[in-house]
Amino acid sequence: MLGPICWVSVVMSRFNKFFVGGIGIAVGLLVSVFVIKIQGNSPAEVYRVLFDYSIASSFSWISTLDNTTPLILTGLSAAIAWRAGAINLGQPGQFLMGAIVAALLGIYLPFPGWISIPVILTASALGGALWSGFAALMRQRYGMDEFVSTLMLNFIAEYSTTYLVTYPFLDPKAYVASTVAIKKAFTLSTVNQFNEGFYVAVAVAVVSWWVVEKWRIGYEWEMMGLNLRFARVGGCKVSDNYMWVMLYSGALSGLAGGLLILGGTQHRFMKGIGGNFGWDGVMLAMIGNNDVSMTALFALFFGALKSGGIGMEFETGVPSEFIMVMEAVIVVSVVATRSVIEFYGGRVKAFLKARKVVKR
Amino acid sequence: MDFVVALLRASINSATPILLAALGGAFTYYANVFNIAMEGMMLTGAYFGVIGSYFFGSWEVGILFALVSSLLLSLLFSLFAIYLRSDEFVTGIAINMLALGGTTYLLRSTFHVKGAFISPKIIGIPSWNFGFLHDVPILGSILGGYPFLVYVSFLLAVVVDIVVFRSRFGLRLRAAGEEPTATRSLGINPTTVRLVSALLSGVFCGLAGAFLSLGYVNLFSENMSNGRGWIALAIIILVRARPLGILILSLLFGFFEALGIVLQNSPIPPQFTSMVPYVATLFALYVYARRKRKVSITAEVGDD
Repeated sequence: MLGPICWVSVVMSRFNKFFVGGIGIAVGLLVSVFVIKIQGNSPAEVYRVLFDYSIASSFSWISTLDNTTPLILTGLSAAIAWRAGAINLGQPGQFLMGAIVAALLGIYLPFPGWISIPVILTASALGGALWSGFAALMRQRYGMDEFVSTLMLNFIAEYSTTYLVTYPFLDPKAYVASTVAIKKAFTLSTVNQFNEGFYVAVAVAVVSWWVVEKWRIGYEWEMMGLNLRFARVGGCKVSDNYMWVMLYSGALSGLAGGLLILGGTQHRFMKGIGGNFGWDGVMLAMIGNNDVSMTALFALFFGALKSGGIGMEFETGVPSEFIMVMEAVIVVSVVATRSVIEFYGGRVKAFLKARKVVKR
Repeated sequence: MDFVVALLRASINSATPILLAALGGAFTYYANVFNIAMEGMMLTGAYFGVIGSYFFGSWEVGILFALVSSLLLSLLFSLFAIYLRSDEFVTGIAINMLALGGTTYLLRSTFHVKGAFISPKIIGIPSWNFGFLHDVPILGSILGGYPFLVYVSFLLAVVVDIVVFRSRFGLRLRAAGEEPTATRSLGINPTTVRLVSALLSGVFCGLAGAFLSLGYVNLFSENMSNGRGWIALAIIILVRARPLGILILSLLFGFFEALGIVLQNSPIPPQFTSMVPYVATLFALYVYARRKRKVSITAEVGDD
């Protein structure tokens, strides 16, 4: 027998899982309509182009999935760390570390492709894990908040990788600071039109879901995020788990960087290559409420927006930077929707509870 | 000698935006609002400062625009984080993303440039020269002739100290942060106090942004706050938001940033000199953490 209170909470938890993200996206798209209108463009036209260039043809799907590949991984990187209570905001830096490792190994590794590609991808994951592990170590040894240290490490990663591609590994023939291209043999090919990198990302996402939902350590991570003291009293090795979740999270971001080098279009490390993939991951985790499957799903949506954005700039003249605004508006709407529902949902719950007590 | 003077002048200039943002953050710190939206407020202030100055041809309008835009952003933050009680951390990050995406897009759509907008029509904040300082040999060349916001911000450090620790509002602010329930029982609404603190931090961050784009340099570039909001936050944590401590640490961080600027003509690659403030922040956090008793993660993440 489920009482009304119970029903409300069941409905709310389901609601929180998917619909809040959906409502947030709807509100975000609606707000964007007004912004487009104010800027003097036709919203219908913009949305039609966005649709055409993201999911309307097989060609646009290719570009959408290419954009989705790093987003899934950085999104999961943020989501998995956050749900364990580890405030890893270092996705941009960990991404860059993974990318630079992949780019350099891709130039110099002497082995054939079938050995090198797995080696490079593993190394790029380790590169990201090194960067987040550094922050985790500083937290455990000295109690330095990881949320400030990962942010600072982002800047340090950005400047050091820029240094590497500007001086020691500069390709003198390139127009911007960048390394030379990696060996042809190491670039990922396509399967069923889609880049192999996408399959890797999906496989990693499935494994991550399995680890987080089915493994013991995943359960312990979740308990740590919900209530650290309870988790410790319940027998979790909190500090080991914390280290593992930070390493895992960093490895995901690093792998995203590695896949971008091997599977993207440039096949080299250029200055500014990370773009917004790291911060997009942070936003995705927020939209997906740190849930693995939801974050991966919304990554697909962001990937579609990104490839649509290029077409939008091409056809309607609305700059592709508008996608950044849309993404941010969506995140703000999701946060708002979630808090409104929790705020008023809590009141409804309290009201029902009070009525029950009064009836008695 | 010229080198030292240049270094000190650059330090004071670099310290100012960090100082202003950190002073604003001090209000929210005492009201127990975890305000990480400073970075975004600063960036918004910097952008709209340029808009006001460019289109109206006056730095006063520029500062006004910076203040109002940053205030609106902090109002948005307060609506979610204080009234609807959504997660302050998530809200703050979302606001920062909105500021970054919004200014990057507006830069492109308004001025049709990518990266940075530079124009002689951006009127900068005027510099102040003090007659009496002019005659003092070395001190005059170190302390005179800054954009007037520099002097204002140093003065504000003292003002904030007095407001927080000596005024009725400051007492309420700290009370609302420490014991909201007790505060409410005395007839003061802690939510209002926290709202005011968030708005004050918006005003200060707006000033910091205006200084970045109209005082420090006369241009706007993408993501030009470049982590200064985060450094300000680190400073607040380090000195527990004591305004005079903020003043000293801001000068220190300004010095590190200036060191990077001055060393640009040296054989050290510019990437390493630009890295200095961020490494310094990490180091400062390390020193701070060593001073505290060694805390494991289990003890530190308690129930806040």
